Amino acid sequence: MLASLSMVIRAGKRRVTQLNNYLRNLFNNCWIEIAFRWILGITFIYASYYKIMSPTDFAKVVYGYNLFPEVLINPIAIILPFVELISGLSLLIGIYPRSAALIINGLLLAFIFILTINIMRGYEFDCGCFSTKKTGSPKLMVARDVIYLIMGLQIFLFNGVRKGCIIRVDRKT
Amino acid sequence: MQWNKIIKEMIFLLGISIIFAFTVNFFSPAGIALVGQWDESLGVIATKAKSDVFSGELEIKHVKIAKQIYDSDKAVFVDARSLENFENAHIKGAESLPLDQFDNLIEAFKEKYPADTIIVTYCLGRTCDDSHRLEQLLFDKGYVNVSVFIDGYQGWKAEGYPIE
Repeated sequence: MLASLSMVIRAGKRRVTQLNNYLRNLFNNCWIEIAFRWILGITFIYASYYKIMSPTDFAKVVYGYNLFPEVLINPIAIILPFVELISGLSLLIGIYPRSAALIINGLLLAFIFILTINIMRGYEFDCGCFSTKKTGSPKLMVARDVIYLIMGLQIFLFNGVRKGCIIRVDRKT
Repeated sequence: MQWNKIIKEMIFLLGISIIFAFTVNFFSPAGIALVGQWDESLGVIATKAKSDVFSGELEIKHVKIAKQIYDSDKAVFVDARSLENFENAHIKGAESLPLDQFDNLIEAFKEKYPADTIIVTYCLGRTCDDSHRLEQLLFDKGYVNVSVFIDGYQGWKAEGYPIE
């Protein structure tokens, strides 16, 4: 009885190790890293475009979240689109990709937090993610941001030599 | 992990972003003020952008005054919201002149209402500025007696005044 139980535990451990190795290989695949970097980079550059072109509309979206003090609404509307643009460009052309990914992960966590709060409050609002016009359902926006966050984590935790970088952070030490 | 290096790089990227942001905002015609007007009790919310067309003097800031003007039967109330919103419900007797349809509809409007008509524009309420933009467009077309009812449809409805 004990012998068979220990066999089951050992088999379970083997599977966990296999899964760990599989995930580690996936997280350290340089092609996946560059694909995620480009996807996130292009997405954030695109997301910044409407906000930069129309800061007034974006400020109203920020106001619509009903979470920020009045004095912060305009500064957020001015600065946030450029943080998205510069971080997106950094990922795309590979300038300090790990740091850019960390900034983008921070933004994504903030977006998920803000969207979730407003979903829980039952507010009707525009997310203002890609345009200042009405976008999709907030729940879908959260799901999409979680997927982006996983991509951002892969870029941040990547432990190999990055491809297509102008200025690269070298391997983790 | 080289956290010191990462933090320095992040400060560099964020610093560049902030410098770019304020520089572009300063020179862009769409630029906004550093602090906006976001208190609805003080009037229509606004970023105080360079392109803003607000003229506080021409605003009707109290619903009761709007009602007095309405009751005098001397003014035409003009709804700047979309046709869809107008058709859902609007101030009784109001004309629809959606901002995005202005160029298509203004000629018919001009035929119906001469340039000295007293016009009161409105939109949803203090969170929209379409009524101000419509006011500006009507001024440009030669209308001289235009004012903006800033509490808009929501303020009117909240007071229980006639809608249809």
